[in-house]
Amino acid sequence: MSGEKFDILIGIASYNNAKTIGHVVRAVDAGLKKYFPDKKGVIVNSDGGSKDGTTDVVRSATIDHAAVFLSHPVYQIHRITMPYNGIPGKGSAFKAIFQKSVELGAEACCVVDADLRSITPEWIELLLSPVIKKGFDFVAPLYSRHKYDGTITNSIVYPMTRALYGKRLRQPIGGEFGFSGKLAEFYLKQDVWESHVARFGIDIWMTTEAVANNFKVCQTFLGAKLHDPKDPGADLADMLVQVVVTLFNLAEKHFEAWKGIKGSEDVPTFGFKYHVGLEPVKVNMERMLDIFRTGIRDLKPIWVDILGAGDFGEIEKIGSLDIKKFRFPSGLWAIIIYDYALAYHKKKMSPEHLIKSLVPMYLGRTASFVIEAENMDMAGADAEIEKLCMEFEQKKEYLINSIKGVQK
Amino acid sequence: MENFIEMLSQPLKEFWTGLVSFVPGFTAMFIIIAGGILISYLAKALFVKGLKAANFDSLCDRLGITAVIRKGDVWERPVELFGHIIYWFLIIIFVMIGLNALQIQTIDNLIAQFFVYLPRAFSALLILVIGYVIAGFLSRAILIAAVNNGYHYAKVLAEAVRLLLIVLILAMALEQLQVAPGIVVAAFSIIFSGIVLAIAIAFGVGGIDAAKKIIEKGSDEKKEDKGRDIEHI
Repeated sequence: MSGEKFDILIGIASYNNAKTIGHVVRAVDAGLKKYFPDKKGVIVNSDGGSKDGTTDVVRSATIDHAAVFLSHPVYQIHRITMPYNGIPGKGSAFKAIFQKSVELGAEACCVVDADLRSITPEWIELLLSPVIKKGFDFVAPLYSRHKYDGTITNSIVYPMTRALYGKRLRQPIGGEFGFSGKLAEFYLKQDVWESHVARFGIDIWMTTEAVANNFKVCQTFLGAKLHDPKDPGADLADMLVQVVVTLFNLAEKHFEAWKGIKGSEDVPTFGFKYHVGLEPVKVNMERMLDIFRTGIRDLKPIWVDILGAGDFGEIEKIGSLDIKKFRFPSGLWAIIIYDYALAYHKKKMSPEHLIKSLVPMYLGRTASFVIEAENMDMAGADAEIEKLCMEFEQKKEYLINSIKGVQK
Repeated sequence: MENFIEMLSQPLKEFWTGLVSFVPGFTAMFIIIAGGILISYLAKALFVKGLKAANFDSLCDRLGITAVIRKGDVWERPVELFGHIIYWFLIIIFVMIGLNALQIQTIDNLIAQFFVYLPRAFSALLILVIGYVIAGFLSRAILIAAVNNGYHYAKVLAEAVRLLLIVLILAMALEQLQVAPGIVVAAFSIIFSGIVLAIAIAFGVGGIDAAKKIIEKGSDEKKEDKGRDIEHI
């Protein structure tokens, strides 16, 4: 395959996904043959040293062409499995995929998770067509999700990204993305591979860099996202640190680009939107509120230092509320996130301690959202998130002025 | 009569001889100290400038050193504080060198002892400063992690760890200063073991109910395992 060029590259980052990756590879293979029969495609599996035979499954996964297709595609789909170097994590796996994309001269690429159960061949068309047929550089996913899912996205990442950069990309850390070869080359040139970007920070980094550097962005509706249960060892605090530190870091880096942006606008959206039945989600409300209240009691000096005595007083009042009356106001939450961004900018403490100290408040806010949305349908829950986004947009000036104050 | 005059003039001569031999030493001491003050001032200015260029204040904020300094009720920026430390350190050195110029045996002996002891004092100070910062950092890490895991005695645990580390650091610093090393090691062993035992008993006895709750909660959750947990990302 040395020197051979490909039109399309599909990257799959994996680590011990033998149970699910076969389905993903078959869906990708079928999607390429069905929707892009005249394009040369390659599937690149970037593996983190799986010990359960993941790479063997990638090589051996087959589909019954006669049953799936009425005509034969022009090209066979190649498969490459390769280990990646660097810090173990999704970001390092993606870096290897970007390298391969540049090496093989791919015109369009997409990445999909290896643990997906709901991926269909249509996902490949939905992620790649905007790049190949419409000239977009970055395609973000749009999913049907349970109203309680994606809480980091809904309460921090989406509202803040939208307020800062002015683009309503609903799933900035969705996990599945389409992008042009040009953007892959841009990503590869950035020197970020020793940071949190090498791990869970990769998704928000890809989205933000695309938006902040004025690449053409859009989103595409993929339907429900069902995947294997996440690794129970994947700690919430660690995930929050990796995502939020990357988000704050990018906000610092692109301050000049976003400070003048006012309001937000929709981005082109592709795909046919529909609602699907979703798995029930269980919420341990008691535990979330317990951690929130413990935080109020034990993290008081840290929170007062970050938020000031006034906002901490508001949090104390919320903490004393009975579960039936428990509400964490959207406006206060927006100010808290901006205060944390400011504390990160001022380097008040180590980034890890800073963001981990946010966990109890994040759980308090999540508990409040669950209580508020309990009797709401998806549209109602979305309206609540919209209200929160408006709070972030309205209070953006506070963040800008505070950062300018620090810079003086 | 001549004898009497001799008796009178001899002490004056001796005084004069002593004064003549003392004045150059005193002048040298004065010049060394005055020059030392000037050099210390310039060294401090250069040092502060270098630290500011290296963004030392931000580094201290990040490492929690500023917070530690504030706890000691010191409100200068770390760069200024470290500048003052360097200034006074150099002043002490120059005063010692200046006193040495007087060539008085007792002072010479004291100065020799001071210089022999100086590296030990410096390393003890370094142990105290670095140790205090590390103790604060670890204690805060434990506090946050314990709170995030819903542990109700998070603050007690974090303070216990801080106390243990401070005892360890103090013992290390005293040992470095060679202050009754035998007693220090013995006292440290007794105090450290006592604290560990106290914590073990406190958490062991106090944690029975908590452990029971956790076990019961775990089995309840297994029974009521309907649906999956929230996906945060």
